[in-house]
Amino acid sequence: MTTYIERFPAEARVIRSTFFTAFIALGIGALFGLLQVLHRTDVHRLVDSADYYHILTIHGVLLALTFTIFFLAGVFTWGLTTSLDRGVVDVRFTWAWYGLMVGGTALAAIPMFGGLIDGIDMSAGVLFTFYAPLQAHPLFYLGLALFIIGTWLAGADWIWTYLAWRRENPDERIPLPTFMVLTTTLFWYLSSLGVAIAVVVFLLPWSLGLLEQVNPLLTRTLFWYFGHPVVYFWLMPTYMLWYVLLPKVAGGKLFSDPLARVVFVLFLLLSTPTGIHHQYLDPGIAEGFKFIAMTNTMFLLLPSLLTAFTVVASVEHGARQRGGTGYLGWLGALPWRDPVFTGMALAGLMFAAAGFSGMVNAGMNINYLVHNTFWIVGHFHLTVGTAVALTFMAVTYWLLPQITGKPIWSRSVGLAQVVTWFVGMTLMSNAMHRGGLSGVPRRTAEPQYENFDFTPAFGTMAELDAGVVIGGSLLFLSAVLFLGNVFVSLTGGKDLTSIPENAYAEALSGAEDGPLILDNLKLWLVIAVLLVVLTYALPIGAIIDRGGLLGPGGSPYPLVVESGRAISIGLGEVVA
Amino acid sequence: MRISPGALLVLIAVSIPFIVQSRTVAAFIGLDMSVWQMIALGTVTISAIILWAVWPEKWLPGRPKLEEG
Ligand code: HEM
Ligand SMILES: [Cu+2]
Repeated sequence: MTTYIERFPAEARVIRSTFFTAFIALGIGALFGLLQVLHRTDVHRLVDSADYYHILTIHGVLLALTFTIFFLAGVFTWGLTTSLDRGVVDVRFTWAWYGLMVGGTALAAIPMFGGLIDGIDMSAGVLFTFYAPLQAHPLFYLGLALFIIGTWLAGADWIWTYLAWRRENPDERIPLPTFMVLTTTLFWYLSSLGVAIAVVVFLLPWSLGLLEQVNPLLTRTLFWYFGHPVVYFWLMPTYMLWYVLLPKVAGGKLFSDPLARVVFVLFLLLSTPTGIHHQYLDPGIAEGFKFIAMTNTMFLLLPSLLTAFTVVASVEHGARQRGGTGYLGWLGALPWRDPVFTGMALAGLMFAAAGFSGMVNAGMNINYLVHNTFWIVGHFHLTVGTAVALTFMAVTYWLLPQITGKPIWSRSVGLAQVVTWFVGMTLMSNAMHRGGLSGVPRRTAEPQYENFDFTPAFGTMAELDAGVVIGGSLLFLSAVLFLGNVFVSLTGGKDLTSIPENAYAEALSGAEDGPLILDNLKLWLVIAVLLVVLTYALPIGAIIDRGGLLGPGGSPYPLVVESGRAISIGLGEVVA
Repeated sequence: MRISPGALLVLIAVSIPFIVQSRTVAAFIGLDMSVWQMIALGTVTISAIILWAVWPEKWLPGRPKLEEG
């Protein structure tokens, strides 16, 4: 029996740091979430409504980018080293990317919080989507750029370690968790390139005054080129945990290793050429391109459905190993008292609900009904706000002892915490979805207008507000319980004997059952790039052609764009 | 107990979205359910779940045995 910290003490230290950074972001983000809920419903307005966007930016950035990405960087480092049974090549490099990510976050945080402090003349109320025409202080973009470079170096670290392992084990199949880390890293490189270009080439020079103006549609499109795949940057580590850890804590084995590989390959191929589905209502992008994005999006449902099937089959296998029988009776045999299992299971259940509202968002015509309404907020609090966030909190109860050597202070509090999150989100998200259907806008400090009342399909607005406030308060309580549990656990002493061995689920049908071509990452990467070029070259070319690289009337920079060459530049933009 | 306390807790939690959405479904078929009616329905449902869970199995002769969790 060895725990992670005994086997990889140096790596455990880095993972601890990524987790703690993530938890600080979670704490502040959750507090600001509560403030938003109270502000929008006019229960209590702590800040002036004019400052609402500063709050919302901090909430969005700290939760959707900082919390998730720091945590997943730790999870990937754990999964890679555990499955390769090998440490990283040089832990100083690992600290370097962590340091760069922290430095970037800190730089971006200065103007983000500066907007709320009277004495500081900097602000970044541009929301976590930060495209033009909203403009932030240059430090915000600089911090973002450093943060992204940090994640690229993290990816390089994982690939480097994998290559070192490959030299030592030339004939072995890539272990599943490593395979998942590598496919995710590859599409992250591909997709984050778009946002890096938007930030470094356009937004940063613009905020510094070097550029007079930018083309808002272009920065939006480049953002969403990254903005959809980033969703999979959160989801793939979540899926990895559902595939390799959930069956283990359920007492069973993963149903099929090759199927899991197929899923990750599909995500590598399909997650990027879909971003335009966030722009169904953007003028300036032809319907045809939107239709292609919609088709790709619907294909993306396939790997998610495969995941649902594989994960449930694995869990059922676990339950039957534990003595469960019957059509549904096996459900009772699962370890429901374990917050690790229950948290992940409830997160998965909510993700199924999110799939339904997601399909509504993805349909070009029904999207018009819900676009930019509270419905969308209800939707992504089920995906990133629960499927991802709740899974991350639940696995903390498993991983924290591994990387600290200290047992969790109270597993019962942990169970109460994950259940509270589930119930809180049920109430908040339901009210948000319904509010959105009756036209309540998102990103609005005071959604009620004079001489106008929203009329929900049934019930009253006051009830919907109550749902949001009660749900949001339960969620905040849950976050406090989580952070408190972590904190008290850390103040406790080490007790390695009470911690399970560091391992992940074996597979009923192992890697050897899958064709070798699945592991040909170069091939998949080339196809992924081709798909991206096919879906994005023409729309980006058209946007530049019509509006200019820097918008109508903008002086050409850094190259002269003529109508005919726009497409090839658009192409270069994407492949470069 | 028919199921473990942990399973009971989760069962109650999972019933909540169904109770909340029962109102949506009711509205869909033209039944206007007030919040209080929904809460009453929820209380009844959850009480029934608890009662079912704690009822000793052997008091119901003739029923197929459900698995213990
Ligand atoms: C304590 C729990 C939480 C509460 C009470 C909460 C509440 C809210 C509310 C009310 C909004 C909408 C504000 C508006 O549109 O005017 C919002 C937006 C958002 N939330 Fe949360 N949230 C919570 C947790 C989370 C988590 C865990 C995540 C992700 C990991 C998350 C990510 C986001 C994002 C990305 C936005 C959109 C920001 C924007 O429109 O720019 N939230 N949240
Ligand atoms: Cu998307």
